[in-house]
Amino acid sequence: MTDDIKAIIKDVILTEFLPGEDPEELTDATPLITGGILDSIATLKLVMFIEERFGITLQAHEVDPEHLDTIAQIAQLIRAKRS
Amino acid sequence: MTAAVFGKAGAAVPETSLVQGGIGAKAYVLILLQLGLLALLLRQFQIESAAFIRLALLAFCGFAVHALLPLRYRLPFFLALSLAGIVLVLDIVNSLWIVGIGVALIGVCHLPVSFRIRGLLLLLVGTLLGAMRAKWVEAPALEAIWPILGSMFMFRLIVYFYDLRHDQAPVSPVRSLAYFFMLPNACFPLFPVIDYKAFRRNYYDDDAYRTYQVGIDWMLRGVVHLILYRFIYYHVTLAPSEVIGPAQLLQYLVANFLLYLRVSGLFHLIVGMLYLFGFRLPETHNRYLLASSFTDFWRRINIYWKEFMQRIFYYPMVFRLRKLGTTKAMVVSTLLVFALTWLLHAYQWFWLRGTLLLVWQDVLFWVILGLVVVANSLYEIKYGRERRLGNAAQTWRSLGILTLKTFATFWFICVLWSFWTAESVSSWLSLWSALGGHYTVDALIYPAIILVVILVGSVERNGLRNVRASAQDEASWRRARLVTVVSLLALIGLSIESVHQKFGAKVATTISSLRSGHLSRLDTAKLERGYYENLLSVDRFNSQLWEVYTKKPANWLDVQNAGLKRFTGDFAQTELVPSFVSQTPYGTLSVNRWGMRDRDYERAPPPNTYRIALLGASSVMGWGVADGETFEALLEDRLNQESGTAAKVHYEILNFGVPGYQPPQQLMALEKALAFAPNAVFYVATGREVSRAASYLVEVVQKKLNIPYGPLRDIVAKAGLEPSMDEATALKRLEPFRAEILSWTYQRIADQTRSNGAAAVWVFLPQVRQGTWQEETPEILRIAESAGFAVINMANVYKGQDIDSIRLAQWDDHPNRRGHELIASDLYDEIQKQRRTILDAAARRPVN
Repeated sequence: MTDDIKAIIKDVILTEFLPGEDPEELTDATPLITGGILDSIATLKLVMFIEERFGITLQAHEVDPEHLDTIAQIAQLIRAKRS
Repeated sequence: MTAAVFGKAGAAVPETSLVQGGIGAKAYVLILLQLGLLALLLRQFQIESAAFIRLALLAFCGFAVHALLPLRYRLPFFLALSLAGIVLVLDIVNSLWIVGIGVALIGVCHLPVSFRIRGLLLLLVGTLLGAMRAKWVEAPALEAIWPILGSMFMFRLIVYFYDLRHDQAPVSPVRSLAYFFMLPNACFPLFPVIDYKAFRRNYYDDDAYRTYQVGIDWMLRGVVHLILYRFIYYHVTLAPSEVIGPAQLLQYLVANFLLYLRVSGLFHLIVGMLYLFGFRLPETHNRYLLASSFTDFWRRINIYWKEFMQRIFYYPMVFRLRKLGTTKAMVVSTLLVFALTWLLHAYQWFWLRGTLLLVWQDVLFWVILGLVVVANSLYEIKYGRERRLGNAAQTWRSLGILTLKTFATFWFICVLWSFWTAESVSSWLSLWSALGGHYTVDALIYPAIILVVILVGSVERNGLRNVRASAQDEASWRRARLVTVVSLLALIGLSIESVHQKFGAKVATTISSLRSGHLSRLDTAKLERGYYENLLSVDRFNSQLWEVYTKKPANWLDVQNAGLKRFTGDFAQTELVPSFVSQTPYGTLSVNRWGMRDRDYERAPPPNTYRIALLGASSVMGWGVADGETFEALLEDRLNQESGTAAKVHYEILNFGVPGYQPPQQLMALEKALAFAPNAVFYVATGREVSRAASYLVEVVQKKLNIPYGPLRDIVAKAGLEPSMDEATALKRLEPFRAEILSWTYQRIADQTRSNGAAAVWVFLPQVRQGTWQEETPEILRIAESAGFAVINMANVYKGQDIDSIRLAQWDDHPNRRGHELIASDLYDEIQKQRRTILDAAARRPVN
């Protein structure tokens, strides 16, 4: 299940924020917020997508590098919220 | 030193070693060697302050131990080192106050009551401390610690409390204390808002050796920023009144913005030092001069601040306002964030400086920046923005577009920055009259330099930031090592006198000036004015001058407020209060019945008396020395001791010096002096006479004071000065008449003196500190000679003296007792050398 979540997140990031980039370059550990890919606008777009796609609600304090900096962390957060 | 600590130098370290923070023996030695070079570099360029260099040495030596300790002992050791650093910079009593108050504040965060009550208690304690800071409640013991205490807690406490509310991670007392009292903070009132989660989360989360190495790279980068800052600060900055054409306007705009290099330099230095102790924090700035849009600028400059605002205010606001629609919520929240940034800037100012900052430019600056960032964000929401995972393939076209966008953003920010940092809105508006000046090739210098820098910087911009150093490939890592070591050696080499002298006198002088931190010519002038004016006259952005002032004890020689001077309502504005007496830390300061800082004299000279009237400002009056210790008193005693009894001539030197008096005010002082029938009048000039005379004329026009001298009134009329004009505009108008003002003033003093049968003597007494004020000296010497004064040039009076042995204090460049002794001795010798032209000429008026 985690791998499915990761694939969905990776896909949306590539489509929305990194069009034309090599999918191989985006790994589960690529820093998204601290690396400068997800700025505040992109982060909020991603949060909206996650909430809608996975039927969960994120809190404002969860929107930080501790929870959303990598695809692995995002998947972990979603899984924790859904369980 | 176990095998667990020492691994293979520089190689990729297995996951288990990452946790242990292990470092190989060779890597450890390499780091120590580089730290040694860095320490030498800090010393050679006297980076920041002697206190910082001591602190850096403590940190570097501490690192040598810290890196070898088992991981569990490292954080406690870092805390101990941080506390030692506070004691090293402040004294033990102040350190105890800081730690005591700090522990109490942290304690409130952990009280076993609800978060709401804890929050209210923090507000209560904060208000009490604020009342003390504002001096509504007396707390003299805390006077020296406010800026540092403020920098430790004013923002970090907000972050910490927020994370305590939401974070599930267990709290460690040692980590909490280390977070607030962290090592380099004791030296820096201006400290980055370090995120608590990042401080906790990124601790030894990468290869230790590479983490330490990045720390050294960042500290070196910080030093480079600070050296560049000094170059700009000393050699490029202009006063608004000096902006007379397009070339100067562009120089002013660029220099003004680039002064920010000090902040980015300090932040690199601070965070780099934290890397040495395993805190792999995100970058504080990301090539902010290369921002290609307003949102890009906001993301690149002071990143910690942006992150702080985003986490604590922006996201919570957006989440609350989401029912409005996400775009609207983002727009409203962004505007609120900028409004809060202004408010928090005022809050920061309050804790650091103790006063409220309510300036229109501040409000307008944040409003304008907020609006352009919102507009830019809306554009990005609609059209997206380019993001890259790696180096983008660039074409000449894409490079050209990026360069032009960056160039335009840079100049927009420069203009906005100049508005923010201007003394007043009218002063900023007056800058733009320079566009009507002459357009010369010089106007292209700064745009060309900026364009080249941006073009070069725009090639191969990396896509990802804050990537772990361990992920960097070996080749580029080694290349970066080479750059660091070569840069360290090159900078150290350049700092050596015999090396930089090989580049010619001009380059050598410039490099030499960069080797120490001092006030620029503009700030030195402000410091001089500050002796007599309120502390608030220090600019909002004048951090170096402010730092000098913060070292000044409260009520330093506060004789002004004690009633030394009084207002006269005429052109002179002030005079010394007759019969005033005050006790200062340097002894008694008494004024005689005639309003002279001197012993008592009769109005008419006694028989066989040779009388000298001495005109001047604070150095002549004897600011910071006791009665009888002024060079005037010492010289008088020596003349009377050594003139020989045979001549039976008694010497009297009457001190008409008044602190703050500028050349035109001496015209009034002379009238007073001539009433005492002197045989000679000595006018003592201390530099920048041309500028001071012009500034004073602007001041009297602004204050609508009557100018009793026709020729000066004519100059005011010719220049078109109006009372409503701001200082910069008025000074620009006076520019063509600057020399004329002083020439007329000198001529009048010399003529009046001679017509009263006295000798007119002009004495040049330099300031204790060498500086660009000396640039005016040849001109004022020429003007004095043209006026017919007998000239005594004491330019070398302080030659070979250590400045600290002859001045009052770091924040007060007046000569101290030793300085006055030197002046008296030198002046005596000069008088003897020119006896025939000074004393004998003066003897044309019969000695009474």
